[in-house]
Amino acid sequence: MDEASFTQLKAFFPQVQFTTEEENHFRSLWSVKTFNQYDLITEAGNIERYFYFVLEGVQAIYILNEKGEKVVLGFSYSGSPSGAFDSFIKKQASDTFLEALKPSKMLAISYEDYQSLFEEHPAFYEWGHQFFQNILFGRLHREVELLTLSAEQRYKTFMQRCPDELKVIPQKYLASYLNMKPETFSRLRSCTSY
Amino acid sequence: MASLLITSENQIQRLNHIINKVKELQELETAQLTSPPHAKSWNVVEVIEHLNIAYGIYMPKLDEAFSKMPSLDAAPNEFKARTWQKIVIAGQRPKNGKRKWKMKTLKRFEPLLDKETLTQEKIDAVFENFFTRHAHLKEAILKSRNKDVKEVKITSAVGPIVNFYLPECFEFLLCHMERHMVQIDEILG
Repeated sequence: MDEASFTQLKAFFPQVQFTTEEENHFRSLWSVKTFNQYDLITEAGNIERYFYFVLEGVQAIYILNEKGEKVVLGFSYSGSPSGAFDSFIKKQASDTFLEALKPSKMLAISYEDYQSLFEEHPAFYEWGHQFFQNILFGRLHREVELLTLSAEQRYKTFMQRCPDELKVIPQKYLASYLNMKPETFSRLRSCTSY
Repeated sequence: MASLLITSENQIQRLNHIINKVKELQELETAQLTSPPHAKSWNVVEVIEHLNIAYGIYMPKLDEAFSKMPSLDAAPNEFKARTWQKIVIAGQRPKNGKRKWKMKTLKRFEPLLDKETLTQEKIDAVFENFFTRHAHLKEAILKSRNKDVKEVKITSAVGPIVNFYLPECFEFLLCHMERHMVQIDEILG
């Protein structure tokens, strides 16, 4: 892992201060994984082996509905965490797929090493507290948006807050995430400003 | 009849499910794996061996198809099965945990295991072979995601009466496996 990547990674854990020795050890726990566009990073039915930190690219996490259609639950992108977290923690087969929508470079840590972070540095509990709180608020926010906003409002709200790199992925993934048909998304994109 | 839209992700999910199930079967007692419920039935190991034989016929066909298939620079897309292939696939697919119609196994697919000498070693070999062959199938499904699958057809294991595009072939194989997973549930009771 190069210096720039490690700096990005450390910035993801602002609550944790390391001694030089601890920092070297922390760094040694992560490995760089690269994926081509449309690679399946995690397959439904397999156990998620890693917690990821995204250096480059965009990934979608989705589940297949009864008809076999992809239902997008979320995205990850540069600077964000990624992975099928429930499968990773529970060590059970994942219900979801994680797919690289753009060529991706990610840092990965195994389950044992992830758990060791908390055991060896109590400061990771502080990070965890903040991290899971943010995740929960994000999910609650999204639930409210999905249940209360019109398609046009969902489109506008999302486009206002989403990073630019997410705006260039195939439309059908964005449409699914916003719970609308690709045709609706396309119509909104052509006639709605945000 | 509604059209059959095939996606590789759906196939991968189902294949993973089957592989996980066979891993669980591997943990069962030898007696459970080798006792058929009645004299005419196969035992579990024979069913697995039958699946090995079936995929063994497709393996070289798939390898050859890939050698001729151009790559595609686009997102993997769903594939609409053709009518006759859809009917052939539907014949295999179990419905609500039941095998819709029984069929006689052709000689070339018969698992020729000697039940008297089915040692643990031989059973392990059958399972290992299953995992190796079906890892090949997984690889094939993954590889097909960025290939122009409309370019090459392969002949089915029963001959030119059926030919398959790759997604149809994978669907047929998966439904065939799912059918035999139902059979295994019946054998185990």
